[in-house]
Amino acid sequence: MKPMLSTDLNVADTTVEKAKIEVKNLNFYYGQSKALKDINLSLPERSVTAFIGPSGCGKSTLLRVLNRIYELYPKQSAEGQVLLDGKNILDRSQDLNLLRTKIGMVFQKPTPFPMSIYENIAFGVRLYEKISKAEMDNRVESALKRAALWNEVKDKLNASGQSLSGGQQQRLCIARTVAVKPEVILLDEPASALDPLSTAKIEELIDELQAEYTIVIVTHNMQQAARVSRQTAFMYLGELVEFDRTEKIFTSPREKRTQDYITGRFG
Amino acid sequence: MAEHTVASFDEDLRQISRLINDMGDLAGSMVGGSTRALLETDNALAQRVVSDDAIMDARQRELDDRAITLIAKRQPMADDLRHVVGSIRMAGDLERIGDLAKNIAKRVGSVGVAAAPRDLTHSIDSMAQMVLIQVQGVIQEYMAGDATALAKLRNDDERIDVKYTSVFRELLTYMMEDPRNITACTHLLFCAKNLERIGDHVTNIAENAYYVLTGTQLPANRPKQDETAMSAPAA
Repeated sequence: MKPMLSTDLNVADTTVEKAKIEVKNLNFYYGQSKALKDINLSLPERSVTAFIGPSGCGKSTLLRVLNRIYELYPKQSAEGQVLLDGKNILDRSQDLNLLRTKIGMVFQKPTPFPMSIYENIAFGVRLYEKISKAEMDNRVESALKRAALWNEVKDKLNASGQSLSGGQQQRLCIARTVAVKPEVILLDEPASALDPLSTAKIEELIDELQAEYTIVIVTHNMQQAARVSRQTAFMYLGELVEFDRTEKIFTSPREKRTQDYITGRFG
Repeated sequence: MAEHTVASFDEDLRQISRLINDMGDLAGSMVGGSTRALLETDNALAQRVVSDDAIMDARQRELDDRAITLIAKRQPMADDLRHVVGSIRMAGDLERIGDLAKNIAKRVGSVGVAAAPRDLTHSIDSMAQMVLIQVQGVIQEYMAGDATALAKLRNDDERIDVKYTSVFRELLTYMMEDPRNITACTHLLFCAKNLERIGDHVTNIAENAYYVLTGTQLPANRPKQDETAMSAPAA
């Protein structure tokens, strides 16, 4: 049975919002092994969607399909459609560099480049745009401000990005993603290696960024999914088990498998 | 329902259920005891009901402590979250039922109650029986996980409201017939009102229990048949 967004309650239904990304009949293979099975879901624009599920359920795989980063690895293939604003990004004619400027990604482990804080941000921008030094300064400042990092680094922009704390490095990576003006931001366990204070800052940032960007977050921390997302997808063994408003998923999910997982009764 | 991976989580939830069950039993015994004490002028029984209220309060405090600790430690989700939050609310209603029963018990020995007309005490007695069945039933159905029975039980409160309206009118009649009945009838009027309020708390418990079990709320509008508010201020 295909998961449907519930319409039985008299509350705002996410299906009426404009979909930024629509996944249709998506299957994914690692070699012969099928990792995603007939996934269908619609991610509303300017809103946070969380993917949750046990390890190996396919949530990170699904995230990696959304910007086709899986193509960096051999023997991985996707079937079906992923429509970004109605256009299928799995199409062979899709320009991958252009796709990845539109859909940015932040990984579990902070990955600052071995260069200055300033250059960490300017580097990506230069790949796609030729802008003056003054414009670049503005772009770096605005990206760092948007990632809530500016006040902490404005006096040491030439220091190495790797000299920052883990939480600051992660926000630097978010600033780097934001600087190239994406439309969608994919976050793969962005706070799992961070202390609670840094985690709170990242969550606050996600809250602010959703006004401008469509955000998808993969997280093992269910309280985090409950806190930051508007809708949540629960995945298990490569299937999308349930997709609904976050408050519905965490207070009264429809599927027993979802309930067992989020209440800690699994396996 | 499958067990949690963390076994102590199940134990914590069981303790909360056990407290709700105990409070439900105690509420039933207090409601039954208080009305019997009143109608039979049994001071010892009334005293027991009054002292039972302290036990009820202590159970509620224990449940609050356990529930809040559980939320802090386990961050419950879905049915577990509903169970814990619903239990806090149900305990609040059970504690209020205890207070109302104590209030009835404290009227035992009041001037003239024993001299109340026999027909009238019969009416109060039968109303008390109806309320007692509701109090005992709501916890039994919750523990049995029977949401359908809870929805029915919630609507059955209508019968108590109808009964209260009839007792109210009966009391007025006795008071108008013979002013010497006024003292006794006023006490009994308060008792009847307390019983009617207990019925309302049972309704709240049934609604909470239904939500805990199903994750959906019962419709807000329930038939209300208490018509005394039209003819007199609420007691």
